[in-house]
Amino acid sequence: MDTQMLITVLISLGQVSIVLSLVALSVPLMILMERKVIGFMQSRIGPKRVGPSGMLQTIADGLKLLLKEDIVPDRADKWVFRVAPLIVLVPALAAFAVVPFSGTALSLFGQRITPWVTDINIGVLFIVSISSVGVFGIILGGWASNSKYPLLGALRSAAQMISYEVPLGLALVGGLMWAGTASMVGIVEAQREAHLWFFIPQIIGVVIYFIAGVAETNRAPFDLAEAETELVSGFHTEYSGMRFGIYFIAEYANMLIVSAVATTMFFGGWLRPFPNVSWLAFLDIFNYILPGEWGPFMSGLMWVIIKVSGFIFLYYWIRATFPRYRYDQLMSIGWKCLLPLALANIMATGALLLWLGQTGA
Amino acid sequence: MKITQFIQKLTLWELLVGMMVVIRNQFRAKVTVQYPKERVPLRPRFRGVPRLRYDPKTLEELCISCLLCEQICPDDCIAIEWEKAPSGKGRVLKEFIIDYQRCCLCGLCVDPCPTKPLTAIYMSHDYELAGSDRLDLVTGRTDLHEGRTVTIYDK
Amino acid sequence: MFRTQEMEINMGPQHPSTHGVLRLKLRLDGERVIDVWPVIGYLHRGIEKLAESKEFVKITPFTDRMDYVCAMSGNLAYLGAVEKLCGIKVPEKANYIRVIMVELNRIASHLLWLGTHALDIGAMSIFLYTFREREMILDLFEAYCGARLTYNAFRISGVPADLPPGWKEECLGFLKLFRQRHHEYEQILSANRIWLKRTKGVGYMDAEQCLALSVTGPVLRAAGVARDLRKDEPYAIYDQLEFDVPVDDGCDTYARYLVRMAEMLQAVRMVEQCLEKMPSEGPLMGMRGRKMRPRKDEEVYFAIEGPRGEQGVYLISDGTDRPYRCKFRNSSFANLQALAPMVQGGLVADVVAVIGTLDIVLGDSDR
Repeated sequence: MDTQMLITVLISLGQVSIVLSLVALSVPLMILMERKVIGFMQSRIGPKRVGPSGMLQTIADGLKLLLKEDIVPDRADKWVFRVAPLIVLVPALAAFAVVPFSGTALSLFGQRITPWVTDINIGVLFIVSISSVGVFGIILGGWASNSKYPLLGALRSAAQMISYEVPLGLALVGGLMWAGTASMVGIVEAQREAHLWFFIPQIIGVVIYFIAGVAETNRAPFDLAEAETELVSGFHTEYSGMRFGIYFIAEYANMLIVSAVATTMFFGGWLRPFPNVSWLAFLDIFNYILPGEWGPFMSGLMWVIIKVSGFIFLYYWIRATFPRYRYDQLMSIGWKCLLPLALANIMATGALLLWLGQTGA
Repeated sequence: MKITQFIQKLTLWELLVGMMVVIRNQFRAKVTVQYPKERVPLRPRFRGVPRLRYDPKTLEELCISCLLCEQICPDDCIAIEWEKAPSGKGRVLKEFIIDYQRCCLCGLCVDPCPTKPLTAIYMSHDYELAGSDRLDLVTGRTDLHEGRTVTIYDK
Repeated sequence: MFRTQEMEINMGPQHPSTHGVLRLKLRLDGERVIDVWPVIGYLHRGIEKLAESKEFVKITPFTDRMDYVCAMSGNLAYLGAVEKLCGIKVPEKANYIRVIMVELNRIASHLLWLGTHALDIGAMSIFLYTFREREMILDLFEAYCGARLTYNAFRISGVPADLPPGWKEECLGFLKLFRQRHHEYEQILSANRIWLKRTKGVGYMDAEQCLALSVTGPVLRAAGVARDLRKDEPYAIYDQLEFDVPVDDGCDTYARYLVRMAEMLQAVRMVEQCLEKMPSEGPLMGMRGRKMRPRKDEEVYFAIEGPRGEQGVYLISDGTDRPYRCKFRNSSFANLQALAPMVQGGLVADVVAVIGTLDIVLGDSDR
């Protein structure tokens, strides 16, 4: 093996570990923020006791989960029961491989290090397909528990995830048509060139995408699979300890993925608002603070984080407000409302692009 | 009318209104009370566990052992021991026991107490009652006057 | 090769949404509920039997502990029965104070219903908002009688104390605030499409069936029957107050939601009228002997309109100072009968919606 290849492999490994640790760090932060934000919305103050103003609460919870006994029910299908949480977690983390965290590559140790693990030309497709693998983990987990509430939860989740994959993918098609590429980096570049974030022409697409995304991640108001007040806690009723924790981490990682794709696809990824208006350049504050490539790199990262956080906040906000749908209503919304809308959106986008192409040419 | 309704339906209007209510509440004062650290202020009439008191002027026992509170208590948690006063008239209180395990804090014992306006038995503001032994909660005369010693955590 | 199988599933007594210790045995076909058997008795304390060995005065604290969500109504129902049995007249001012407390308690009880019902259906925040407002009512109760849950606020023949100084202003301030907050709850839920989908047509029960099962209260009024004991057989001073009986003919969970929401505003109206009309002077306790000895072999039934429906007390005396028999006709127990017919044919998610809409308190039904 020649040296260059070894270095490439090492760099990739480094990128992967950085991305994974970023995700692993942001999940406890998200859980903490969820509890704080929803607490504030409900006139409470949320966790307060562990660490300064409760900052270490999720760390303590995580430690507790790690140290807890890992109970496998007697009648469970033991092997499947143990593996199921990992089937949820691994695709959720793998999807981060194509997410661009910033726009500028860094030069370190004589190598060019990109702020994304890889940029494949089917990036969006990759994310959509790999994140749909996660549903197997939920179905298997619920089934392997050999218990009634988890079974109901798993079945709900199976139907829900399969139904909402379709509008989720179709909602992205509109954006892909505007971008003309499925590479995540290419989509952002296309938005820079078009002088336009795609959420403006694709507003229906964004709404459909986000609704389907909420359903896809099993969050309120579509949290039927774990509906606490109906199914106790759905598919993970029998899980305890870190295996339960893994489901939890995967859920939040999936939220991050949905938000990151929305950011990249519709909200200009690492671009600042109005990237072509030069007097707004001061918004990229890190450009003035840090030297060389580090400036644009950090600015891009900042914008990605801000936009993703916005979506995550929306998740919390929705969870705090809305009642939960019923199983049959959820199905009818997915198939009778979102799917036709998404198809109509694609048609309209196609017509608009055709018309624009003719007038432009 | 129909058109506005349709537009409201399409723009998820009522959902947004609901979300605005929630966000408005985010800026309201928080109502959490960090219990052992902070305490809710009690109203003057608050009914904690019943206790006994002396006459504030003469510092003598107010209770005249009339047993009315013992009779009216719906849980039979009051037990009074008394003897004839040496002067031959009236009674002297020997022991006064309230079993806090059984007390339901109804306040009925205060109603018939004849030593008005300052009743000998009164509903105190003590509400931290946990003990590590059942007998801990059977409270005798001294504790009824001075209050039980309870470990109060304030961290 | 493939076959479907009915599944029996046990919901409760430890389940997040069975409101205490209700246990339901559900028979499911997939998600569809074929049959449901409510199992009660987990909170049985034998209050009726206990009452037979206690003097009339001593029973009031037990009525607090039956329907602990609206203990004031429990007190009033029981004391009304005793006063009817012994022929005791309650002074006017005491009656005003009683009505103020009972109506405030009705708001508190409906707030608890709204919060838990919405939480069962999945709306989280409104649960804490309603509890925040309920806490203010409990503060008012604490200021008046000293307790926040088991009030024991009334005595036979009257009330033990006048309203404390400043109470009226605090109460009026709360009522003003509550009208705004009530509007906020409606903004969150009334038009919300998810809420409508979850409640409209769910738990349908028409007037005929309600009457056959002796279901009372908001559930009956939401089926189009304007039965309200405060209007039909006025007790205390309800005949001097101006109020409407909210009725809806939707017969479903949403109609019950609308009826209860409207009832809260009516209760606010009543409390405001009472505070205005209440005589500032006057006795608080009526005349009664030291020991109450009703006539032998006399029976009375006295019922009030509690937040959950008809709250009746049936007393038989044998001439002593204790009741020979004390029967509480509690609305939760009667309303619970409506659960099975409402749920059959619905989905699992409808079960929790129906439990919420019936607004049962297990302490009330088990006693």
